[in-house]
Amino acid sequence: MGARTDVALAVAGLHKKFTKRHKPPVVAVDHISVEVAYGKIVGLLGPNGAGKTTTIKCILGLMEPDGGEISVCGYDARRQRAAAMSRVAAVLEGARNIYWRLSVWENLEYFAGLNGIGGRDGALYFQQLLQRFGLEDKKDTTVLELSQGNKQKVAVACALAKRTPLVFLDEPTLGLDVETSYQLRQAIKDMVRDEGRTIVISSHDMAVVQDVCERVVIMANGRIIADDQVQNLLALFRTREYLVKLARDLTREGQEIIQEQFPQAVITSDGHDPSVRVQLINGQDIYRLIDVMRQANADIASITQEEPDLEKAFVELVRKERANGNG
Amino acid sequence: MKRRSWSSSGRSVPTAMVRWRSFAVNFKKAWLLMKRYPFNLLSSLLTMYLIFLGIFLGVKYLGGTSLSAVDTLEGIIVGYSLWTLSIFAFSDLSWELTNEAQMGTLEQMYLTPAGFAWAQAGYLIGDLLFFSVFEVAMIVLMMLTTHRYLHFDLVSIVPVLIFTLAPAYGIGFAVGGLALVYKRIQAFFQVVQFVLMGLLVVPVNRMPWARLLPMSEGNALLRQIMAGGRSLWQLPGQDLILLLATGIGYLALGLAAFGWAERVARRRGLLGQY
Repeated sequence: MGARTDVALAVAGLHKKFTKRHKPPVVAVDHISVEVAYGKIVGLLGPNGAGKTTTIKCILGLMEPDGGEISVCGYDARRQRAAAMSRVAAVLEGARNIYWRLSVWENLEYFAGLNGIGGRDGALYFQQLLQRFGLEDKKDTTVLELSQGNKQKVAVACALAKRTPLVFLDEPTLGLDVETSYQLRQAIKDMVRDEGRTIVISSHDMAVVQDVCERVVIMANGRIIADDQVQNLLALFRTREYLVKLARDLTREGQEIIQEQFPQAVITSDGHDPSVRVQLINGQDIYRLIDVMRQANADIASITQEEPDLEKAFVELVRKERANGNG
Repeated sequence: MKRRSWSSSGRSVPTAMVRWRSFAVNFKKAWLLMKRYPFNLLSSLLTMYLIFLGIFLGVKYLGGTSLSAVDTLEGIIVGYSLWTLSIFAFSDLSWELTNEAQMGTLEQMYLTPAGFAWAQAGYLIGDLLFFSVFEVAMIVLMMLTTHRYLHFDLVSIVPVLIFTLAPAYGIGFAVGGLALVYKRIQAFFQVVQFVLMGLLVVPVNRMPWARLLPMSEGNALLRQIMAGGRSLWQLPGQDLILLLATGIGYLALGLAAFGWAERVARRRGLLGQY
């Protein structure tokens, strides 16, 4: 693979093994290949030790891979490091990536300056970033005095201040409250829409990834076990599971009737939110379900079809990988 | 064609500009961080002065008549100042690397397209310059305390000082490299401080081979300039060549050791870990 100019990131056959004396080698990344198109937000998911951080660090040149090719915006990241690094920025350890003794503005100037961004043009852009992240009034505050959420925002703003087309965000919303997480997610989406940036987010927060990313790459044991659009992955795990909420508890006889017709049904009938959760095989079964509920003398409050979420898809995929003997 | 870097503003940034800004922001960072820790700096300077006072009083009251030679006391001021500067030069880099790794900012510095060395040079030069201002104040204070006055021929002092301190930076790079790979080596820093002191008290006149040691030749030459009142042009050419050779040689060795450690750290994934 030569340097790819048509995609923001292209990784081919990347592998990395850690060896320690008197210990068996650990394969952290096992010949993975992935491409990310310009202007997209891609989620990189995986359980702890899946190889996400090692992959990111190899791409950024912070770790020497044992083999494989990496192209960042058309530049070979290993042979044309300076050119590749001028096109990529990263938040690797959240708020630990910035100087707590410097002010918000000084941090922005410093980290952007590392990529040659500054002057009047830079200052105007930093001002826009502060507005976008709701940090205008904290401009001259030392980071040490900021809340955890604002520290995290400053770390992300510092990476974005470099104005690189490709940005890696490792756990950008870790430890944030709901509102700050929402603001940060919104800011990230806006940056992609307004500036055409390409963002790779590595996170354990499935809700964040599902909200922000169009596509996810799931890693386990150093390998990519799924790489698809979020919607496709959700469709893969979409089941015909229905939740029937009841206005009152079922009688014992009622429970037996339902259990006899739908042995897999999960009945909750202990006085608190009585419900029946049942997975149907085909479209016609919904009518049979209603008939059975009537026979069981159930007082139906509502019937909803359960939507799968990314977390469920992720857990299922990783579980399947482990069941296949790879974990 | 000039090499340029990309920017999302739609305009690319020339490589020279990336290097300049990378250097400049690190230079500024040195100033800002020094400014933010005024008590730390003042307490270091006070400690330095108190140690000198202890040496001075010890020599004066216990050394007796041996101190009657005027240049001995002036030599102590030069040697002591050079020792504090060399400790600063050596420890600045090694402490900085450890601190940056602890803070999680080291990896960010490695992401600069200008290269880590370029960025770090801005910080080290800035830090040395700002510290030198305080060092000059300290020398003035030492002169006022001892009533012995040194020659401040900056044209002669600055180039000799640069090549005298170069080996200290070489040691700093080598120890910094060890810190990248082995992390907690602070105890080793203390040992190096005493080694540096040893290097500055080696009598090069009686032991000519000692002139090959780091900083020894520069120390002897600085004493000649500052205590003896000689100018750069009056110094023997072979001494200056030896100063250049040891300065560049030890710095190059230190950089090579750092380069090796950096490669090991990258291979083992230790950059930024602490």
